[in-house]
Amino acid sequence: MPGQVASFEQLVLPHMRAGYNLARWLLRNDHDAEDVMQEAMVRAFRFFDGFRGDNPRAWLLTVVRNSAYTFLQQNRARELGTEFDEEVHGEPASADRTEETPEVLLLRSAQQRSLNEAVEALPVEFREVFVLREMEGLSYKEIADLARIPIGTVMSRLSRARRQLQAAVGRRERGGSAS
Amino acid sequence: MICAETRKLIDAYVDNELDLRGALEVEEHIARCPACGAEERALRELQASARANLTRYSMSPELEARLRALLQVEEPPAPAASGNSSTARVARRALRAWKWAALAPLAAAAAVLFAVGPGLWPRRSEAVEDAVIAAHVRSLLANHLTDVASSDQHTVKPWFQGKLDYSVSVTDWAAEGFPLVGGRLDYVEDTPAAALVYKRAQHVINLFVWPSKGERASSDEPVRRLCRRGYCAYRWSKEGMRYWAVSDVNDADLKTFVELARREH
Repeated sequence: MPGQVASFEQLVLPHMRAGYNLARWLLRNDHDAEDVMQEAMVRAFRFFDGFRGDNPRAWLLTVVRNSAYTFLQQNRARELGTEFDEEVHGEPASADRTEETPEVLLLRSAQQRSLNEAVEALPVEFREVFVLREMEGLSYKEIADLARIPIGTVMSRLSRARRQLQAAVGRRERGGSAS
Repeated sequence: MICAETRKLIDAYVDNELDLRGALEVEEHIARCPACGAEERALRELQASARANLTRYSMSPELEARLRALLQVEEPPAPAASGNSSTARVARRALRAWKWAALAPLAAAAAVLFAVGPGLWPRRSEAVEDAVIAAHVRSLLANHLTDVASSDQHTVKPWFQGKLDYSVSVTDWAAEGFPLVGGRLDYVEDTPAAALVYKRAQHVINLFVWPSKGERASSDEPVRRLCRRGYCAYRWSKEGMRYWAVSDVNDADLKTFVELARREH
């Protein structure tokens, strides 16, 4: 089926680099990102027949994202499920977290950290939303579809991520709340 | 609009995700509220900083070449001298298997029937078979053959404990010409599966083991065989466990391996 290969090549391959960037941000090292990327491309090729959408970039990013989460579930399950949404502003996500959690590290050396390091220190669910929004320019709707979460959760995660980053890079210079 | 409402919407505002009415309300509020105005500027500053400063990671040229090689399935076989590396060859051969798996279900079913004859390979196992061959190919491709590299069955077996909710017996058949090289945790049928990795000369044999599901859990199944594009698989089930042996080794050797494994499992 030369046609299939050609269109996969035309539609999906141009977004391979964006896919790798996402994998690298989610996994935080080259070695794992390479493994996941390879797995994702094989999956993408395999399931390309099922692709009916008009946004191959978001589709490939979804495949990469799912491969990365599968990898994290299998190898670094502790990094997942760090919910610090609405109810727990500023609190560690759960009681069993050790001192070396991203949040603690983030707060400890907040001032020295560059934005890169601060983004790396975010829990993966928040890092993902931030990277997809700021680096890939995805809309809330696209992020919601990709991560299979409601748009409201996209908003709250993005907002939380930004407040964390602002605190971490020490640029939060506004005064007290006026409300 | 008050500050509390504005703060809830301000991210969506700077992301241009609000409808016109919402955007106008936020705009009106931040024009007269210094604190919310400062918040807006801080957010835009963070956005600008993120776009300017976040590292855009790029693939190594090796990885990009390997991924591109995965897609060269339609190319005529290149002459040996034209830099057709062994990685690319392995990848290409693997992709043929993938391509096969990517065919429309009807064509795949027809092809399976054509390949092995009706009745030998029930359709229900196609998804599993794809998954198993896929897992085998992946183990060869991704430099991720083993999670625990050891020829010692007393190292490999305990490694699986705590990772699987069932016990796997591990035997080294080095004396019979099938040395154990390690174990790996894999996923088949949405179930964690033990992959025991053996070698026969330069060929890799993956022996996948996982518990049977559903109605087949209680009945043992005899050995069945399928070869597909260079990969042969044997499967059987016994005492509630399913076994698949997959390799591109020659069939006689794989059969010998399966007989050894059957005695044990």
